[in-house]
Amino acid sequence: MSTQAVQVDQLRKRYGDVQALDGLSFQVRRGEIFGLVGPNGAGKTTTLRTLATLLNKDDGTVTIAGHDVDGDADGVRDAIRYLPEDAGAYESMTGRQFLAFVADFYASGDEATAMVDRGVDVADLGERIDDKTKGYSKGMTRKLLIGSALMTDPRLAILDEPTSGLDVQNSKTVREVIKDFPGDEQSILLSSHDMLEVAYLCDRVGLLHDGTLAVVGTPDELVAEYDAENLEDVFLEVVA
Amino acid sequence: MRPFTRLMWKEARELLRPRYILPLLLVPVLFIALGQGLGGVEAQLNDQPVVGVVNEDGDRYGERVVETLENESTLVYNATGGSVDAALANTTDKGGSAVIRVPENFTERIEADRRGDVHLYTNVESVSIVGIASSAQVEDLVDKAAHNVTVAATGATEVQLDPISREHTTYVKGREIAASPGSVSATFTSQFIFVPVVIMVAIVFSGQMVMNSMASEKENKTLETLLSMPVDRHHIVAAKLLGGSLIGLVATAFYTGGLAFTQLSVGGFEGASTLSLGGGDYLLIAVSLFFSLVGALAVALCLGLFADSQQGAQMLLLPLSGLAIVPMFATMFTDIDTLGLGAKALLLAIPFTHPIIAPKRLLFDDTTIVYAGIAYEILFALGAVWLAVKLFASDRPITGNAGWLDRVLRLVQQ
Repeated sequence: MSTQAVQVDQLRKRYGDVQALDGLSFQVRRGEIFGLVGPNGAGKTTTLRTLATLLNKDDGTVTIAGHDVDGDADGVRDAIRYLPEDAGAYESMTGRQFLAFVADFYASGDEATAMVDRGVDVADLGERIDDKTKGYSKGMTRKLLIGSALMTDPRLAILDEPTSGLDVQNSKTVREVIKDFPGDEQSILLSSHDMLEVAYLCDRVGLLHDGTLAVVGTPDELVAEYDAENLEDVFLEVVA
Repeated sequence: MRPFTRLMWKEARELLRPRYILPLLLVPVLFIALGQGLGGVEAQLNDQPVVGVVNEDGDRYGERVVETLENESTLVYNATGGSVDAALANTTDKGGSAVIRVPENFTERIEADRRGDVHLYTNVESVSIVGIASSAQVEDLVDKAAHNVTVAATGATEVQLDPISREHTTYVKGREIAASPGSVSATFTSQFIFVPVVIMVAIVFSGQMVMNSMASEKENKTLETLLSMPVDRHHIVAAKLLGGSLIGLVATAFYTGGLAFTQLSVGGFEGASTLSLGGGDYLLIAVSLFFSLVGALAVALCLGLFADSQQGAQMLLLPLSGLAIVPMFATMFTDIDTLGLGAKALLLAIPFTHPIIAPKRLLFDDTTIVYAGIAYEILFALGAVWLAVKLFASDRPITGNAGWLDRVLRLVQQ
């Protein structure tokens, strides 16, 4: 079994004249939370989407939980859950029905039922879980999607701006859920613009700039390396 | 529930939302309302007209007119003189709308070999189909009265008045039919308006549903989540095609029912059964329609990937609707065999032409072109499904980038 949850080597992706990813390489270890940060347009979402098998890469190799994204895309999809930054739920379903819809792709019978119960716990929407998602606020939808992403116990949860749209209290709750999620086999790869959140959640951080990884390390290592006060200063230093 | 079934269920639930289904269901409701209206008119026109008469003539031919009115209508006012206004008011009070005045010299003029005059006074309260059409019934009554006066004046028998009976044998593409060309044409016209319209509607409604399905994924921002789950792209495509077509076909069934309710459908003539389709023929038409729908829906799914919203999807549906409407009109107003080679090739290249022309072909046992059409539709459907799967496996659903084609399709949606 691979010792890395994610292994990315020399990943390249171009959109027309724009080289979005230019030889990106990094690893996510099993059991860790890895934060991918960078300025707008640095290639974070492209990276996450490529790992989630949504985009085809031009070059390089990407392996997730031992499955190659090209050769074994189904194996990759079995191992991951992807939470896009701007995602929604099916409006014709209740929150619980949406969780059951997702769970059905990963398990059946009692296992699927247990999965839905776990999703309901994580989403923490109370009685509103049985309301149609059409009436949910952005924050409620986000919590439902976090629940659906983590309930399947994925080997890798890919979370793009997981607390986007949440108020302070809900953000804190979601952060705790994320912090507690990784186990021996479960990892998280997340992207966020909130450096405090990244510093709090992530075991290691990779700073993406112009399609390549400019620096990588633990938050403490990066702060020390750049003689900065916090991760935000490191970010500004690297991007400058 | 298996993932594929779950996907189908999800598609059906999403597409059965009021915003998608109500516009489709509104059309058959309008047809039913129209049908009821026309049915009411027809029922009213089948009733005997209610009239009054002022017979100032009082002689034998005037009496013959009154006799006719008594036999062929509901005569609610019968006077030998007096004001026509009073007669009309009285008749109107009793549910009628017309008074026929026979002047005093009516018989005298006919006996002098001159035409006798009658005057019709009609009160039209309702400026509508019913109001105007009911006056035609009174005209018909006067024609009958004229016939009876002729019989009385000349002593001629019915045979003498109409001495020639006609028997028709019409050859349609070599097939012998015992009916006049006019009645065969009327029957064919009604059939070949009804069938192509229903097939066109099936294609357009189902295509719209599949496009709505894609537009809904984009509006709800669920596509990325769906595509990152462990479900084969083929299953996603198949679920969207099946889910969309099921709802589309249900809507078509409602539409067909509504259309049939308007009684615009098949007419008939004596011997029409010599030109009717058998069970095998209907099966072939169904097979042809099925593959045509699969192809149409796969094209709709491909176009749906370019739709930004439900409104955008409606715009992108136009070229597909156009492809279904062209063969519909072509079949209604011409016979494809009579077209030039270029026009014929162009029409046959449209896959939706084949189910539309299939009933006419099968009516004349011309099965070769129907089988060839089905083979062509299968190839087209396979190609379209392959394209849809390739598009789903590409970056297009996520990035929205498809080069020049994308720019053209975005322009259409603006």
